[in-house]
Amino acid sequence: MAAPVPWACCAVLAAAAAVVYTQRHSSQEAPHVQYERLGSDVTLPCGTANWDAAVTWRVNGTDLAPDLLNGSQLVLRGLELGHSGLYACFHRDSWHLHHQVLLHVGLPPREPVLSCRSNTYPKGFYCSWHLPAPTYIPNTFNVTVLHGSKIMVCEKDPALKNRCHIRYMHLFSTIKYKVSISVSNALGHNATAITFDEFTIVKPDPPENVVARPVPSSPRRLEVTWQTPSTWPDPESFPLKFFLRYRPLILDQWQHVELSDGTAHTITDAYAGKEYIIQVAAKDNEIGTWSDWSVAAHATPWTEEPRHLTTEAQAPETTTSTTSSLAPPPTTKICDPGELGSGGGSSTPSLVRVPVTLALAAAATAASSLLV
Amino acid sequence: MDLRAGDSWGMLACLCTVLWHLPAVPALNRTGDPGPGPSIQKTYDLTRYLEHQLRSLAGTYLNYLGPPFNEPDFNPPRLGAETLPRATVNLDVWRSLNDKLRLTQNYEAYSHLLCYLRGLNRQAATGELRRSLAHFCTSLQGLLGSIAGVMAALGYPLPQPLPGTEPTWAPGPAHSDFLQKMDDFWLLKELQTWLWRSAKDFNRLKKKMQPPAAAVTLHLEAHGF
Repeated sequence: MAAPVPWACCAVLAAAAAVVYTQRHSSQEAPHVQYERLGSDVTLPCGTANWDAAVTWRVNGTDLAPDLLNGSQLVLRGLELGHSGLYACFHRDSWHLHHQVLLHVGLPPREPVLSCRSNTYPKGFYCSWHLPAPTYIPNTFNVTVLHGSKIMVCEKDPALKNRCHIRYMHLFSTIKYKVSISVSNALGHNATAITFDEFTIVKPDPPENVVARPVPSSPRRLEVTWQTPSTWPDPESFPLKFFLRYRPLILDQWQHVELSDGTAHTITDAYAGKEYIIQVAAKDNEIGTWSDWSVAAHATPWTEEPRHLTTEAQAPETTTSTTSSLAPPPTTKICDPGELGSGGGSSTPSLVRVPVTLALAAAATAASSLLV
Repeated sequence: MDLRAGDSWGMLACLCTVLWHLPAVPALNRTGDPGPGPSIQKTYDLTRYLEHQLRSLAGTYLNYLGPPFNEPDFNPPRLGAETLPRATVNLDVWRSLNDKLRLTQNYEAYSHLLCYLRGLNRQAATGELRRSLAHFCTSLQGLLGSIAGVMAALGYPLPQPLPGTEPTWAPGPAHSDFLQKMDDFWLLKELQTWLWRSAKDFNRLKKKMQPPAAAVTLHLEAHGF
């Protein structure tokens, strides 16, 4: 029991000593905070010390070369971001800390970029902003929303700090909204404003849960379904129309379909066996602009399962005759063009299977007539 | 012919009185009728057609008025034009409007707006502008008739003007040219907004009138059953 007590005693004594030490060696409680512009020159005086006092400057604990000094003042030319830090000057002989400066190098703000959008019409809209270039120092933003002469409240977004939300009190207004933003930091100030009508900023979120499925027994169809965006509050009174685009992955050109109703569509002109990429966009039926494209869905139309693909895969590239170059598999009848239409129950199943194999063998020949 | 301001407003009042007393469109033939659904759809389609027509008409007219009226950022305070029917409405109030009130508000608004539009035919307007305006007025008349048809099909009476509340738009004694242009600007703006609102109004009516069974049938058909 005796051991812990002396340990605790030592800890307390050490802490006390540290406190006393720092108090003796700092003339100020907190460093002076200073903001300076990138690229400019700055002269840091050593607090209240005389110009000819003998001092040493340190930055973040590292000594600085005396050639930067002008008397007891530190001169920094052509400030770079790396110059930011804690600068401290000490009396050279006593090492007494005389003055500290926390230097932040930054820029005044450029004109902010402001945009507003209503993806929750008719509930309200939101505005978001950003600076086109960083300032490297803290900025404060102030947003005001005017509807005619009436000031409206813009509630800060709980998650995003450069966004705020406005609730519509009235719909179908002829008076424009004016949103102004001002930004300021220690080095400067800037502002901008935008005006718009209620209808022009309506832009829904993209449709959700876009799913594309092949249709059994239909080699050229794809069934696409989606949901109205969950942020759109009232699809009953404010219905959305949709725009679908699709293409096979191997082609660049999109096909487009505009749909005024419903959240499903069947593509009927898909190329057989090709993987497709499909996207959907939404828009209010009458006002505003189209949403961004949804997350893409991928699907390949249904294709028949080829049963004897492994034995027939070693087919020659070109043939003039469709029958002579193939070794017929034991149970499959080669489909001779002359036999087509001659009927017979046994020929029908082979007709289904053979086109797959013949396509491999005679793609360029007149056997294309065999391809259904 | 150089009309004095007093004369043109008198003519306007006269025209508006005539408009209010137009005979109502007879009710739909009840035998095997599909209900008011098709005429609501037709009214909706008319609002879209008119909104499209108005876009080009307003563009031409505002250019005729000249700057600042044709500038996209033009954002004047709403002074004067107090008697214009305003489309703006509180969101909750709009949602809870019953069908009769919804239709009545639309009918009354377009009656007023048509009246003012007819008075817009100004001395200085070009012949082409007068023709476009006249064409638009005819279309707007058609919309009014369509709304009247829906109201009749649903058994609602057409609103009758109370004596003394007929839309007259008496300008002040020194109603300058600029203020007149401001009134024209607000008329076109309000008309455009009403057409957007009507599309939403008729959407709501369409959804309410749609019998649920029909919706299910359509759904089944789409799946090839």
